[in-house]
Amino acid sequence: MSRITVDGLTKRFGDTVALDDVSFEIPGDEFVVVLGISGSGKSTLLRCLNGLETPTAGTVRIDDAPVTGPRDDIAMIFQQHNIIGQMTAYSNALTGSLNRNSFVRSLFQLQDADDKLHALDALETVGLLDEAQQRARQMSGGQQQRVGIARALVQDPSVLLADEPVASLDPGSAQQVMGYLRTAARDRGLTAIISLHQVNLARKFGERFIGLRNGRKVFDGYRDAFDMDVIDEIYGDIDTEELFAPEGSTSGDAASAGGSVRDGPTGDTTEATPDGGSRQ
Amino acid sequence: MSHSDRVRDRYADIALARKVRVVVLAIGVVVTTAAFYYALTSVGFFAANIPRYLPNFLGALGDFFPFLTLSFPYVDPAGFIEYWTFIEERNLIWGGFGGDTPLLGEAGITLAMGFAGTVMGFPLALLFGVLGSGRVTPFPFNFLFRGVMSSIRAIPALVWALIFIPLGGIGPVTATLAIATDTIGNLGRLFTDELEEIEDGPIEAMETTGANKPQTITFGMLSQVTTPFIAWTLYIFEINVRIAVSLGIIGGGGLGQVLSVQQGLFAFTNMMATILVILALIISVEVVSQRVRSTLRADEETQGLVSLLLGFPQRMAESVLK
Repeated sequence: MSRITVDGLTKRFGDTVALDDVSFEIPGDEFVVVLGISGSGKSTLLRCLNGLETPTAGTVRIDDAPVTGPRDDIAMIFQQHNIIGQMTAYSNALTGSLNRNSFVRSLFQLQDADDKLHALDALETVGLLDEAQQRARQMSGGQQQRVGIARALVQDPSVLLADEPVASLDPGSAQQVMGYLRTAARDRGLTAIISLHQVNLARKFGERFIGLRNGRKVFDGYRDAFDMDVIDEIYGDIDTEELFAPEGSTSGDAASAGGSVRDGPTGDTTEATPDGGSRQ
Repeated sequence: MSHSDRVRDRYADIALARKVRVVVLAIGVVVTTAAFYYALTSVGFFAANIPRYLPNFLGALGDFFPFLTLSFPYVDPAGFIEYWTFIEERNLIWGGFGGDTPLLGEAGITLAMGFAGTVMGFPLALLFGVLGSGRVTPFPFNFLFRGVMSSIRAIPALVWALIFIPLGGIGPVTATLAIATDTIGNLGRLFTDELEEIEDGPIEAMETTGANKPQTITFGMLSQVTTPFIAWTLYIFEINVRIAVSLGIIGGGGLGQVLSVQQGLFAFTNMMATILVILALIISVEVVSQRVRSTLRADEETQGLVSLLLGFPQRMAESVLK
């Protein structure tokens, strides 16, 4: 659990303004969904948060320490998984422990039994313990993304970032992966920031929402405030009824923001923000 | 039928462009022919009297292929026995149990030179290849390593063997060192090229885990290219065995040296016997290396060594029947 403070964050690539004076504060232990269309600045925001990009102006602070480069207490999950196909799921998960082990130890896989068990724990969390020794490139897209989550968990971070983690997955796998992400974040008390472009998934899993449009923050609030007008604001003039339809017709809780939300693959049913907004 | 002016203009343009192309082509043909003639003159092609020596060559063919006869059935098995006698007598394939290196015949020595040279060159090829990549070493400095590899490649292995002569004359040792040096230049270059192809994603992923630079390079970059690296190394090994043959001709030992000695004695039958052994050696090395490479490429479950060996005849048969 870490407090994240973003203050006046601006990022320009040449003449293109990717992020324009974005500020917000996340007190910790929240499951935040960043929404926006392609090119709205979601990826840039996440890459600035973990130090892969250097902001043009403004600061990102985690527990008052400014972020200047990749650091081991911030884990990142990528849209394209970015796991290593040649290695097994287990070896991939184990790369999350690189920051705790020397070059030679990690090269010959001589990590402590603690680290190795930690990697298997993480694979169990994402439901891949039986597939641990399978080569990553032989796995399905959903499984590969779950390996990516396991790697992030092995890193033992306090902040979990995910950049469109389900964009390349089918709807079923997408829900499953989001379910694992939320379970992992909740069980381990992580501050999670997930960027998504699917409104129905965001509504199903999100606790707090940050909306970006053309690099500007156009919304920041909890479930009770996240309604049709907000979605119009984020997505512009499109048929937003359509965006609601799948969620509304399948789980039936879309009309009233925050009913019972069915949990994904873990099977535990949790009342998510039953009062329609206040954080847990 | 009448045509608009625009159409006529266009037609004239196309006709002109066509004429220009024909003229350019004609000039090209003339220049190439002149250059070819000049090249033949400079190598003394017209001064040589090939027709006069042709009977000599045809006579030598009888020595090269002693199993050919002029009368029916045109093949005399005794010719093959001549080959085999030489191969046996000079231990070309099989070295017997005596000597310093039991079992290794001349073919084994050639193979050993190629193998040892590859193994010796590999670590430095890996080091220079990785450091030559722009993603590992920032831009102007990576050219330091690329430059070293280019210089090594610019000098053929044969010349490297000459350079190493002061280390103890021409022999298998200097030949092996020459092969190792050559490997650094060629294999290193292939490694660098391969590293240009990799994806940024896994590198960034490793950076975000808090990995240090060597860890990022190993897990983010090298783990993406282990299979191609092994395949390229096997390919260079094949080439190195071939180089070992040519280094033998200048005295580096093995089959090449036998070949050069028999050539000096004008023992053409023995020369051809040696060439046949070279053929068999190179083809076997290639077949084995190809098999290993295709197994690596095939996205199969890793097989145990035993099942790999036991399954070999069946896979071979399947491949043949395909």
